[in-house]
Amino acid sequence: MINGFWHYFFSTIDPISNLGFSRALPELSLSALPHWWLIVILPFVWNVLPTLILWVVYLVRPTSIRPPLPARPDQAYPLVSLVIAGRNESATIGQCIRGALLCGYPNIEVVFVDDNSDDDSVAIARRAALTAARTRKDAERVRIFPSPRRNGKASSLNIGIRMARGEFIAITDADSVIQYGSVQHWLQPFDDPHVGAVSANIRVLNMPHGLLTRLQDIEYALLFTNGRLISASLDLLNIISGMGGLFRAEILRRLYGFDTGLGDDTDMTTQIRKQRWKLGFSLGAIVWTTVPETRDHLWRQRARWRRNMIKIRVSKHRDQFVLGRYGFKNAVLACVLLIGRLLWTWSMAVGLFVVLFEFGPLYVPQLVVSFYWIFLIYLLIRALIARDLARTPQPINFALLFLYPFYLMWLRIPTLYAEGSELMRIGAKHPYVPDHVWEEIPWW
Amino acid sequence: MNDLAPPASGLAVPAPVELPGAAAPERRLDLLRQISSAGGTITPSANPNSEHGYTYALSGHDVDRDLEFLAAHNYLEARFFDRVSLCPKCDSHHLNVREICPSCRRAHLSAEGLLHHFACGYVGIPSEFSPTDDGSYLCPKCNRRMHHLGTEFDRLGKAFTCRGCGLISENPPVEAVCLACGARNRAEDLISALVFSYLLTSRGAAAIRRGSLFDGDDEAVIVADAPVYRRKVILEFLDNELRRLQRFKDAFSLLLVKCAPTALGSNGNQAPTEWLSRLRENLRDVDLIGQVGDALFIVILPQTKRREAESLCDRIEAALGKESPLTLSIAEITEPRDLAQALPGLTARADP
Repeated sequence: MINGFWHYFFSTIDPISNLGFSRALPELSLSALPHWWLIVILPFVWNVLPTLILWVVYLVRPTSIRPPLPARPDQAYPLVSLVIAGRNESATIGQCIRGALLCGYPNIEVVFVDDNSDDDSVAIARRAALTAARTRKDAERVRIFPSPRRNGKASSLNIGIRMARGEFIAITDADSVIQYGSVQHWLQPFDDPHVGAVSANIRVLNMPHGLLTRLQDIEYALLFTNGRLISASLDLLNIISGMGGLFRAEILRRLYGFDTGLGDDTDMTTQIRKQRWKLGFSLGAIVWTTVPETRDHLWRQRARWRRNMIKIRVSKHRDQFVLGRYGFKNAVLACVLLIGRLLWTWSMAVGLFVVLFEFGPLYVPQLVVSFYWIFLIYLLIRALIARDLARTPQPINFALLFLYPFYLMWLRIPTLYAEGSELMRIGAKHPYVPDHVWEEIPWW
Repeated sequence: MNDLAPPASGLAVPAPVELPGAAAPERRLDLLRQISSAGGTITPSANPNSEHGYTYALSGHDVDRDLEFLAAHNYLEARFFDRVSLCPKCDSHHLNVREICPSCRRAHLSAEGLLHHFACGYVGIPSEFSPTDDGSYLCPKCNRRMHHLGTEFDRLGKAFTCRGCGLISENPPVEAVCLACGARNRAEDLISALVFSYLLTSRGAAAIRRGSLFDGDDEAVIVADAPVYRRKVILEFLDNELRRLQRFKDAFSLLLVKCAPTALGSNGNQAPTEWLSRLRENLRDVDLIGQVGDALFIVILPQTKRREAESLCDRIEAALGKESPLTLSIAEITEPRDLAQALPGLTARADP
């Protein structure tokens, strides 16, 4: 039976069959066969074609993707305030602060806001500041604010923004580390005065820890690195990640900081876009972050992200769907996100059931297996280009590409559940936000 | 009136410096006499006009150095009184200590608690929230009224806001400006000097009575780092302790040390110097050792109760080891007759 399965599974990529397939390509291209367009062409145009175009641009003009750093005298480095908000982050806050102080940028300050931790995060942060500082002046560049009461991440970030004095404010998580030399790259897109915020290139710090982290390394390379590089070049970047975002301080202050509740980074990005600022992405600004290592942790994270997406984009900022109110691009972006993230997933799920009932149970495996191989080929192309452009994912993780489609399907379980429950307003309250704050939030 | 000793750069007392000149012993003896007339104790008094903030009510030249010398040689016992911070450039105690802005280094700071509005997450200083007619505040971000502290908004601890550059800092650095020389010093750079009060010891009282300080080998049986006194001298110290006991009810203990005859040399009157030196190493500076018989030594332990003395005795026995020729025993002296019980016939033997 197993041999029969493998025979069936690999028959889709049988060279003889594919020879016939290639001969049929001209005819298929002109046909109205829905499977051809839905399974082959649409994913190619959506996922592979932009990556291929980007790669060609990179081959022709590498400096357009990886611009060289201009030499600057020391006094030309503007002050960058790194704001870190965290709660019970004693395991990682030390390396985060040390990484910031030793990142090679001469004019940086660190503001750590401890959200009323139960552990010794504050003591460790103070010790890290003293041990990493080469001079007393260095040590004074770290300021720590221990909150007397738990306020949630958004409010903690607002405290940090109030305390920051830099011309630019960088925001990272306490479990992230800035790579040496990254801040100079991070600032580079701000040479364009219309750029309001720049996303860093997020990489996986704990990649070698297990299968899940390695799969996330592939995911981050394809979606967070390549995907954001493409969307930023089209001025359609939809998020400045909370793991690594650099903002003009004046914008954050003009917006009075982050709004309370979940999805602070999505919310802030949407607000900045509404103000008609451009969002940038820097390939050279690498921020290493710690990703979930267990299934529970990963599912919770993805469910939270998906709920936030609906809360922020569909509910709180639904006015951006109105064409012309916040610009054509913002309306298009909102629609694309709605279709790509929400409708696409649900239509896939519903479609599978329709096919199952209409064509019988044997039709679905055939369809899925075909789609799997097509997806894998596209995935390999994207991963190879990402590797060439951004040196990620790690070469050893290419061996896991065949698992990646299953990983994505597996991640649909928490996201579908999160979307369904959020749309039906089930369990909207999240422990991420303290009760006394949640009760006062007007828009959820 | 005399100023304090030169400042120490830490908590330790600086090493005393022997002053040149033949008058130094007489000068120091005179200080001992003044302290004795003042009741046996001299305490510094605050004096803003002095260089270091405290002075002693003693007359004489270089009083501070002499007091240190006398304390180092056990004529006086130094007791902690206070700690003063001094300018590292001019040693003055006239310092203006205050928080400064870590950015612009100005001292124009105001201590304000940050306010946090729960509904919109805005965090700002109180002056940004406009007060309204009904006693509530208006949030500058969402324009909502904030009525109830704790449920609608909260105070986020204390923060310092620089009126010069606007920087908010939770823990600003502390700076001290010297009002004498104008130097700006960080708090951690200030010199920290200890101030002591001084108490006359039995050795000091003995020196007053004999009219000179104990200096040289003639009073000591052996001279190592610390002396072991001859019978006459140690009995004089013992007498002083008895006087202190009668006057101040200041109980003390005696450590009786009997030496095995084999350790006294072939003629039977040679002091076991090596063992006595090891004994001395385990004692405090204020403890006094003396020989009262050929094979009997005593250690005066001022202001030491029996329990503490026993603990000390155990520690010394452990340090000396099983091969020690010295046998130790303890006697607490709470009244003069205790001494007669501890050392019967001592008075008779003490008479020359």
